[in-house]
Order: sequence, then structure tokens, then C-alpha cells
Amino acid sequence: MRRKENRSISAALAAATCSLLGNGIAAAVDAQEEPAWDFNTSLLYYGEDSDRVKDFSVSAIARRMFVDDRFLALGLTVDSLTGATPSGAIRQDVAQTFTRPSGDAAYAVPAGVLPLDDTFLDTRVAITAGWQQPVGEKSLINVGASASREYDYTHIGVNAKFARDFNKRNTTLSAGIAFSMDSLDPVGGAPTPFTPMLDVGDTRNRIGDQDKDVLDVILGVTQVVSRNLIVQANYSYSMSDGYLTDPYKVLSLVDGTTGDTLVRTLTPGVDGPSHQFLFENRPDERTKHSIYGQAKYYVNGKVLDASYRYMTDDWEIDSHTVDLRYRIPFGNDQYLEPHLRFYAQSEAEFYKLSIRDDQPLPSFASADYRLGDFEAITAGVKYGWKTRDDNEMSVRAEWYGQTGSIPVGQILGNQAGRDNYPDLNAIIVQFGYRF
Amino acid sequence: MNRTIGIAFVAMMLCGGCASMGIEPWERDVLAKDEMQLTTDEIEAATDDHIYFSKEASSGGRGFGGGGCGCN
Amino acid sequence: MQRDIRLDVAEQSWLGRFRAMGSPCEFVSEVSRRAQALELTELVAAEAWRIEDKFSRYLDGNVVDRINSAAGAPIEVDDETADLLDFAVTLYELSERRFDITSGALRRVWRFDGSDRIPDQKSVQEALQWVGWHRVNWQRPVLQMPIDMEIDLGGIGKEYAVDQCAALLIEQGGGPSLINFGGDLAATAAAVKRDKWKVAVERSRPDEPDRIIDLKRGAIATSGDARRYLENDGVRYSHILDPTTGWPVPDAPRSITIAADTCVQAGMISTLAMLKGPQAEAFLKAQDVVFWCRR
Repeated sequence: MRRKENRSISAALAAATCSLLGNGIAAAVDAQEEPAWDFNTSLLYYGEDSDRVKDFSVSAIARRMFVDDRFLALGLTVDSLTGATPSGAIRQDVAQTFTRPSGDAAYAVPAGVLPLDDTFLDTRVAITAGWQQPVGEKSLINVGASASREYDYTHIGVNAKFARDFNKRNTTLSAGIAFSMDSLDPVGGAPTPFTPMLDVGDTRNRIGDQDKDVLDVILGVTQVVSRNLIVQANYSYSMSDGYLTDPYKVLSLVDGTTGDTLVRTLTPGVDGPSHQFLFENRPDERTKHSIYGQAKYYVNGKVLDASYRYMTDDWEIDSHTVDLRYRIPFGNDQYLEPHLRFYAQSEAEFYKLSIRDDQPLPSFASADYRLGDFEAITAGVKYGWKTRDDNEMSVRAEWYGQTGSIPVGQILGNQAGRDNYPDLNAIIVQFGYRF
Repeated sequence: MNRTIGIAFVAMMLCGGCASMGIEPWERDVLAKDEMQLTTDEIEAATDDHIYFSKEASSGGRGFGGGGCGCN
Repeated sequence: MQRDIRLDVAEQSWLGRFRAMGSPCEFVSEVSRRAQALELTELVAAEAWRIEDKFSRYLDGNVVDRINSAAGAPIEVDDETADLLDFAVTLYELSERRFDITSGALRRVWRFDGSDRIPDQKSVQEALQWVGWHRVNWQRPVLQMPIDMEIDLGGIGKEYAVDQCAALLIEQGGGPSLINFGGDLAATAAAVKRDKWKVAVERSRPDEPDRIIDLKRGAIATSGDARRYLENDGVRYSHILDPTTGWPVPDAPRSITIAADTCVQAGMISTLAMLKGPQAEAFLKAQDVVFWCRR
């Protein structure tokens, strides 16, 4: 009975409208919602100078809208890495040989050259999935999962976030949590920490596969300040537990006075390291705290995006990051966006340039430049435009450079006057296409 | 460490105290623009997070950043 | 009151802009010459302002003002006003008395300013004395209304104006055009140069993707409380009042967008659906119209 009533309303309304508007009514309506899929894709090239790391990466995120503002997001990234990375050993005035992490072969580094390990060739595939939906009128919930695989590393993780609006949607509070379970299966097996690098074929000091768990918690508040200004502040907590050491990195064992790496006697007919190197050892736990603030300010069509992050952890690393972007629209739907980023970090408590043989071994040590004291700058520009069928394209080019320094107390003897810190110079080029 | 947590807490409370700050629903035209979203390009943000996670000792901030790879 | 017209070049078309009926109005035309685009914009604006001046409840001396200040005396109206009143009567019946052009009197106790001030039951009951089309004596072309009652054609006016302007444009041979009066819009014909008119449905949260409707011809209208509401004790009161109770319709959707042959139909279906509160979606599904309903 109700159905019939409802249908006759449409007809009655159409008839009444006809009387009201008279002749010349438009023909039947033809209106359709555009397809509900939204794609964001990109092609990335990252290249460090000389023989160091180069990465090609293809990414895509597909978003599907459902009724009632729910949506599903699926992401896929494929990375192809080549090139070499500093192994942690220091330069010497003589040539050095090292055993590869696999234990199958050796490689040589000429005198005066920074030792680089090129066992870094790899392809990585990562997928993400996320679901978001409103909860009542003021809240929303987001749950997701991620997984990735490369030949020596597997990751799976889950995450969830809840956000609620207050104060006429001017204030939003959010809380999120993420948990990852990663496992490492290093080529040749993880080495026992602080044991020496052995000859080719000698795998006595291996301890097999390792695991690592990471828990992240984030609390945030977003506040609309005015019609043109919105700000956000987040506090993050991160706890990593398990195997946090880099299985491929070593430290040079040096003479306490001369600072030169101790030589090793090679057995005739056997390939192996020419000098003494110890595998690094990091703590099996790391707790990080960060606070982050961001502001986006609209002025005359241009948008300024400024953010600051402070991080501190129980490895005694402190860092500051300042990120600035300025979007300038022009022409028909085009824009230029210059970008500047400043980063500074202090070294980990156990960061060492080398290990001296005249003192007891410390509890932990790593010569990984990424745990050292350095400053970095990123400078670049992004250009965006709209294609003929109203889709967005963009391209950005950036330069990223790191310059580090070794704490004075760590430089021994002949190490002074050498360029010890592996400064980094990389370019980033990325194409984006959204449709 | 405690000082950091303390600063974070105060910052959050200050923001909470901004309970009367803001605009009317019909004044949201500028904020609704694509370029005024806190993250304008999801892939670019994820790419940067990943690069900086691999080359530096810090990660995240804006969201759960980086991680899930063998590059650090 | 600003009554100027702006004409700008937009992507492959002309964009004429002016203000009418309290909203920003747009007219998009694909004609090639500026002079013709200006002429058509002026035509559309003139008709919009004519309708506004004639039926606005804010202006002295027009037919609505004469009816509202009649103090019980009978008023004779012209054909156009009579047509609108007849249409209002049909809607009054189709909506089971919930669409009522005399319900404006409830504005005396309800102010939708985003605050938490809701009236008490006693004030609402008092205001209901001046509400109710059944108290009105309408015998075309004469209308007689008790003292202190008022009519308000705001619920039909904008959509009516859009359709009248569309009809004028078709008569004048204006080619494919899009008329948009503050979100109530109509396309006279499929856009030729860009293949279709793209209309964005307002998203309720900024981090949502846009929902875009490809409109070839027809009309789109939206009813909603995104901008005007009250909130008290965690309950949201939309500005859609039920004149049979004096209170907001409970559980009305946050916004409803309809695509239909004419703007008047689109607008009225979305209003009738809003008045159904929790049954809005069921009602809309039975109408067999293209709709987007947000809660």
C-alpha cells in the first residue's frame, strides 16, 4: 500500500510541475555519478652519486568510494634497488678486501676509497589495504594492513585510527595504533654480533633468521584557526623490539694509537678479509618519542605548508626536522611548489667510527652513518598541471644532501685528515598521475 | 624524555582549550580546497617517508611513517 | 543590494555571475561571442531578480507582502502567483501536510544559528496557532488568511526561478547552458565543447574524494542542513521543521541531492524526502529518481 502511494507521488508531482511551468520543459534528465574509482600513480627515481644506491619505484593507490562516505584504499609499490652502501669500515691508505655477506666470495676496495658493499641489489614489493568509514555523525574509523617482501626481509602489519570532531568540526582529536611483525633472513644468515668477519666459506659465526616487532601509537589534534589557517599537532610513540642490528654492517678494528685498521693474516689459497672487522651490535630495544606540528596557511590563492618535528629516543639520538612548501598556482590549473627541508640529528650513544683494540669492547657499537651526527638539506620544486580530460599530473625534482661529522674524541691517529664521514648526495625525480 | 612528554601534553591541552576557536560551517570554502588538505599527495608523502626512513634515524610524525622494509 | 553582473571567460565557455535570492548565481554558456553571452546573462539575471522582487518576503509592496500584511482581508492575486499557490497546495497534500508555506511563523521561535538554544514546548505550541494551510481560504484567484499568519514561498522560489530561466534560454536559442542558483541548477542541453557538465556534490569531510555527477541535461537540487542547525545535549536539530508538530523532523538525513527533469521536481522530491526523516531513503528508492543521500 505504501509503495503504491510513494510511486504515485512522483507522478502527481510531475503533473503539478507541468501545470506550474507550462510548456517548454526540458527533456528527460540524463545524470550519472562518475565512476567511483580514484587512482593515484607515480614513477620515482632516487639516485645517490658515484656507485651508491639507485632506486626505481612504481606506485599506485586505488580508492573506491561506496555509499555513505565509506571507502576502500588499495596500494601497491614495487622498488628496484641497485648500487652500493657504506659497509661501516673506514678508508685506509692501502687496499682492503672483504668477504661478502653471503660468505661465498670476496671483494676488494682500492686504497683511499670508502668501502662500499654492493650486496644491496634487490626488488621489493609492498601492498597496503585500508578501509575507512564514518561512525555516527562526528567520528570516523580507519583500519588497515600492510605487507612487504624483499629477498631478505618480510613485513606484515596492521593499523587502526579513530578520529572525532568537536566544536562544529573545528577541532578533531585522533588516536592511532600500528603493529608490525618483521622477519629478517639475511643472506648467509645473521652474524653473531661483535664476531670478526671470517674467510670466504667460513660460516661458523652465523645465528640464522631474526625477528623484529614494532609498536607505534599516535595521538593528534587538528584545529581550524580561521578560514585560511588550519594546524595540526601530533605526539608519536614508537617501540621496537627484537633484532635491530644491521646484519651486513661492520666496524673496523683499529690500533688505539695509529688509528689504522689491524691487518689480518690470510691463509694461502683462501680468500677473506685483509684486515680485522667486527660485525656491529645494536641494542634489542628502541623507544622513540616525537612531537610534530604543521600549519597550512592560505593567502591570496597561494598555500604555505610549514611543519616541524622533534624526535628523541633511548639510543640518545635527537633530531629536528623543518619542512616548508609553498604552492603557487598560475595559468589554467597549474602550480609550482618549491620545497625546502632541513634536518639535523645527533649521533646514537653507541655510534663509533671504529673500535679500538686497546680498550674493552663497548656493549653496543655501530658505524652506520645513518646513526651518526649529521645535517641534511632537501631542496626542490614540483610542477603540477591538469590534462585535457581534467586529470592531474605532476613532476618534482629534488636534491638531498647529508653532511656529517665525527665527534672529535673518536678520531684516532691517522684517521684525522681523512674524509671519514660518508656524505650523501642524491637526486629525487618523481612523476605523478591521478585519474 | 619526561620533558618531551610534558611539552607534548601542554601543547595538546592548549589546543584543547581552543574549544571556542574556529569558523562557521558555511565558511569552510577555502579549507575544502584540495591544496589545503593536510596531506595533499598521499604517494609523495609515502615516498618521502620511505626515503627519509632509509637514510635517517627518525621516521613518522605526520602519521605512521616509513618502516616495514629492510633498508634500515 | 548588489545588482551587478560579472562576465568572465571560463574553460571553453562564458561564466556570468550575479547575486539573487540570497545566493551566488552562475550562468555558464557556450556561445562564441561575448556580446551574446552578456545578453543571455542579463536575460537570466533579469528574470531571477523579477521573481525575487515579486515573491521575496523581505520586500515591501510585492504580492507576498500584501498577503502577509492583509490582516484577514481577502487579496486577489495574478495568474503566476495563483499557479504557485496551487502548486503549494498539491505539495501540502502530497506531503501529508508537512510541506506548508504558512510554516514560516515557526521562525519566531526557532533560530538556526549553530547554537544550543532550543525553544520550550510552550512557545512552540503558541507559535503553532499561526501555522496551517487548512486555516487559509484559497479560492483562486482570492486568498484570505487569518491575522498574524504569513506565507513564505522560499521553499519553491529558487527552483522555480531556475526552471523559468531555463525555459527562457531555450526560447531564445541560447544553446547548451548551465544555470546554477546557489546549488540548485539545470542544464538546458548537453555541453558540446566539453561533452558534459560536471557538478560536484558537496563532501561532508575534506579528506573524502569528490563525488562528481556528469550532467548531460536536466536539473539537480539539494536539500540539507549542513549549514543551518542547532545542537543541544548531543542531539542535532536540522532546520527542516515539521509544521504538524512544530519541531524539527527527527532523523532527517544531513543532505539529499536529486537529479530530475526540472529543478522544481528535483527540489520538491528532495524536500519531501527530508520531511520523511528516517524513511527518506525508502521514499527515494520508490520514486525511481537518481539521488544521493547523506546521513
